Amino acid sequence: MTLRYASNAEMPEGLAVRIEELSLRYKINVESKMTLKNAIMRAGRGEKRRVRTIEAVKNLSLDIPHGTVMGVVGANGAGKSTLMRAIAGILPPTEGRIIVNGKVSTLLALGVGFNGTLSGRDNIILGGLAAGLEREELEERFDDIASFADLPNGFIDMPMRTYSAGMYGRLAFSVAVNMTPDILLIDEALSTGDAAFKEKSFEKMRQLCLEARTIIIVSHALGTLNELCDKALWMHQGNALAFGDATKVTEKYLEFLNVGKVPSALEDF
Amino acid sequence: MSSEPEALVSKIQVFEPHKASLPAMGPYIREFWRRRRFAFELARFTDKAEHLNSPLGSVWLVLNPLLLALIYFMLVTIIGGRGSAGSSRFDVLAHILVGLFTWYFAQNCMTFGGASVTAGGKLILNQAFPRALLPLSSLIGAFQKFMPTLPVYLIIYLVGGALDSKSRLPGLNWHLLWVPVMVALVAISGFGLALLFATMNVYFRDTSKLMTYGARMWLYLSPVLWMPDMIHGWHRILIWANPLGPILAITNTVWIKGENPSWTLWLGATGWAFGLLFIGGYFFVSRERDFAVRI
Repeated sequence: MTLRYASNAEMPEGLAVRIEELSLRYKINVESKMTLKNAIMRAGRGEKRRVRTIEAVKNLSLDIPHGTVMGVVGANGAGKSTLMRAIAGILPPTEGRIIVNGKVSTLLALGVGFNGTLSGRDNIILGGLAAGLEREELEERFDDIASFADLPNGFIDMPMRTYSAGMYGRLAFSVAVNMTPDILLIDEALSTGDAAFKEKSFEKMRQLCLEARTIIIVSHALGTLNELCDKALWMHQGNALAFGDATKVTEKYLEFLNVGKVPSALEDF
Repeated sequence: MSSEPEALVSKIQVFEPHKASLPAMGPYIREFWRRRRFAFELARFTDKAEHLNSPLGSVWLVLNPLLLALIYFMLVTIIGGRGSAGSSRFDVLAHILVGLFTWYFAQNCMTFGGASVTAGGKLILNQAFPRALLPLSSLIGAFQKFMPTLPVYLIIYLVGGALDSKSRLPGLNWHLLWVPVMVALVAISGFGLALLFATMNVYFRDTSKLMTYGARMWLYLSPVLWMPDMIHGWHRILIWANPLGPILAITNTVWIKGENPSWTLWLGATGWAFGLLFIGGYFFVSRERDFAVRI
């Protein structure tokens, strides 16, 4: 964790997130397995470790005011998820810095449910405690979370490995929005719920926006983004290509994709 | 702790680049301490998940070292033959047993701790928190598994000592008041080992596999199957160079001999415990920001 509580960080009043010249690079192993055995054998042969450096985000600067709903679009591998993880403080920046004002709640590729043998209830408590909530606070919110997720009868106390992908997504979303975050990060998680749940999610997000909370959504569903977001960021291979009014950015993105406004791209998921 | 500075702390966060150095330790330890509940609950839930798979779960925790101790005891008395003459056979068993229980506490820290970070994959990818909480939870789990073995040992120790006329076990004596200190030292060493192996396991995934052999070797080199008094002269380096050597020698002195351990042993045990904690802690915390990309 790279928390450095800045007494010296300057942050204009109305900003939720300030990103300053952020670059994120990391090395990935090209080899099949990272094992001591391989390392020793490689050293014996005098080979070097084969790695590839990925430049996930390149020199990005961005100010996100409180109460913004920002969509992030871009092709696969554009660096969207990496950016989200950096804002959440999970991945440390390689260059530049990120200042975050408020409590961040993450819904990144379904955060809860890391332990499939435990019930949904246990996973909620563990995830919440890791996020820094108090046990009592969690117990209080538990009913809200469970009723929002609205899982089929009794599933909340079943091991999470028995959940369907949709149920998984519902629970994860429910946890993330009920943590009363100041900043909510959602990465491709809306796609799992059914139509009714999706509508409920939108409702909840609109409500969070009215409370001047900030939401950042990564999604390929441009229709949803247009409906929910007032701002959008278009990323491509680590670069920010456009930032601004959501409909305009998504329009540009669509143009780039060279597909025009065909229903399949606008249609949700 | 007043709530105001804490509220400020969680309010503005700055994420900046790092080299392989430590983050600001003050805030790190504060956050670590603030979320300690997570480690406890994780240990409890992990335990629960394990028990779901095995109805005899908690019984095995005691039974396993007990049976192992019997096997080792037979080995030692058969191989040793008359070599251990003079001392009662039960005393040898009592020594092996307390050594094994202590050893398993440390070894469980290593094994569970070693896997803690790689097993917490999803959580690490999706949540920012002081990662050292994961090995801490392994320590708590190992401690909870160790605690029930103490009363079991005490019963065997007292009953056996009373039944065996040749036994020279001291029985209940004041030196046993050292036991909480001994347990604390093993726990500190165990946490250090958990941090160390957790980090190793992130970089080399076969660490845990190698550890099974390593741990066994280490056990044979430790004064568990043999008495610390059996070796003399420069051979005693086996005890001092072994991170768990001094504390196991102390265990023997207190339980079997009923004497006050020498201050050199205490110094060795304390030195190793905090040494492991600092080395493991530095290794882990300086690299934990790297974990998310390597999981």
